[in-house]
Amino acid sequence: MPDPSVSEPAVVTRDIRRSFDGRAVLQGIDLTIRPGEFVALLGRSGSGKSTFLRILGGLDPDYEGRALVPEKLSVVFQDPRLLPWQRVQTNVGIGLRRTLHLDRTTVRARTQRALAEVGLDGHAQAWPLTLSGGEAQRAALARALVREPQLLLLDEPFGALDALTRIRMHALLQELCRRHRPAVLLVTHDVDEALLLSDRVLVLTDGRVSLDLSVDLDSPRVRTDPRFSEARTRLLSELGVDELAEGRHETQPLAARSI
Amino acid sequence: MTDVRTDPEVLDLPRLEGAAPTTAAVLDPTEPHSLVDARGRHRRPKRRHRSAPSFLRKLAGPLIVLGVWQLLCTTGVVNENTLASPASVFDAGRELWASGELQENLLISLQRVALGLAFGVAVGLALAILAGLTRRGDDLLDPPVQMLRAIPILGLIPLVIIWFGVGETSKIFLIALGVTFPVYVNTHAAIRGVDARLVEAGETFGLSRAGLIGRVILPGALPGFLVGLRFALVGGWLIIIVAEQINAQSGLGYLINQAQAWYRTDIIVLGLVTYALLGLIADNIVRLLERRLLVWRGGFAGA
Repeated sequence: MPDPSVSEPAVVTRDIRRSFDGRAVLQGIDLTIRPGEFVALLGRSGSGKSTFLRILGGLDPDYEGRALVPEKLSVVFQDPRLLPWQRVQTNVGIGLRRTLHLDRTTVRARTQRALAEVGLDGHAQAWPLTLSGGEAQRAALARALVREPQLLLLDEPFGALDALTRIRMHALLQELCRRHRPAVLLVTHDVDEALLLSDRVLVLTDGRVSLDLSVDLDSPRVRTDPRFSEARTRLLSELGVDELAEGRHETQPLAARSI
Repeated sequence: MTDVRTDPEVLDLPRLEGAAPTTAAVLDPTEPHSLVDARGRHRRPKRRHRSAPSFLRKLAGPLIVLGVWQLLCTTGVVNENTLASPASVFDAGRELWASGELQENLLISLQRVALGLAFGVAVGLALAILAGLTRRGDDLLDPPVQMLRAIPILGLIPLVIIWFGVGETSKIFLIALGVTFPVYVNTHAAIRGVDARLVEAGETFGLSRAGLIGRVILPGALPGFLVGLRFALVGGWLIIIVAEQINAQSGLGYLINQAQAWYRTDIIVLGLVTYALLGLIADNIVRLLERRLLVWRGGFAGA
């Protein structure tokens, strides 16, 4: 018999609507996320996926409908948003004393542990401006996880990173999620990223969820898995991208150049 | 068309492997002749020679100016009554220092600037924070402050004398007024310019309103405030020079004004040099402050 509090959802939204200057961006989003579930939200740019995340994060109060989120939630933005005038460790522990009523020593111990988890223990006393893009984003991840959130909101967190760093960040995020088990909402436009990381992929089209796809691929997930590419084709076509047609366009100039 | 090998420009180019220049005279026959060495195409490699320390090199310019100035005076090209020579300015300095006049007046000027600065910075900062943090404060405060800012401070001297007489209050008031505006304008703009994304992040991670102000907004506005402070110092000195020459019985400006009556160009120049030195010192103090307070910018600042 499962503990009823555990089976309570991490996120429930009912008919979320949001418009900007009369332009409807979200037109009724109903979503339930289970505890520990990793949900990816895909959409073209301007589809309202970031707007939805901001609503869940409490950053946009001007919406209609109902959105229920856990008290302990964290956000990782596309840019690290570390305070440049505070050292990395202070940045990671920001607001901890107030929100979790912890004393200074506990905060220090927890931030130190969080930094070690993301492999930044050597940079605790560094200034954020001296970090590389990947390091800064890892610090942002540590800042999000140090408060043991029940919901982790990721707004294209790896979008600004180079391809190699992104691969390593994916592995790190998977590892951290396995350990902390927060419910995750990952907003991204990268179909592969969504398929590599999540249990469930939603596609947002014209302000509505147009596809809700469960991803049950064998782990470790590899792009060469035929079911992976099948799911990817499905998602891409939902996003309005015809892989084959686009592929032809892409390869033609390349072929011409190689002659 | 000359043979590329006899062209001195080409022969002079440093060789790839850092070979000795003597061997450069003969080009390797296997090297493609239609190509030139990339190094030295536009820029010669930096010659490494030992140079004087930077403060000495920077001192050279002013020393040359002083030398030419002294030369013009001793050769009689410039009359001592027009402009005292560096030597006589130095003598005047010694004379006034020995009599204690220089220190006394210097101290009084310093005190006026310090007091004016303290009041001006406090008021400018308070106004900037009030107007910068709230929309209502901005609507209320910014228009009148911008209007007052347009008034030339020195034009207020007649009015200020009527209000406060010729005593200390009028001078301190003028300086404070002149300091308030640069501090206000720069700090206000800096507060308004604090990255909204950082404020948003601070909010999501549980900072209270006071926490946001103290840990995000004010530290973010600090560089702007320091710029304002530098302008304020320059403005403060400018005002005291004029204010002390118009109505004062003491201070550096008074010293200069008295010297004018006796055609003592040496003392006038001495006063000006003292002002300049004080200005430099003040500016350096703020730079030092910047370096201390803005360590987090690291190599970013450049200044």
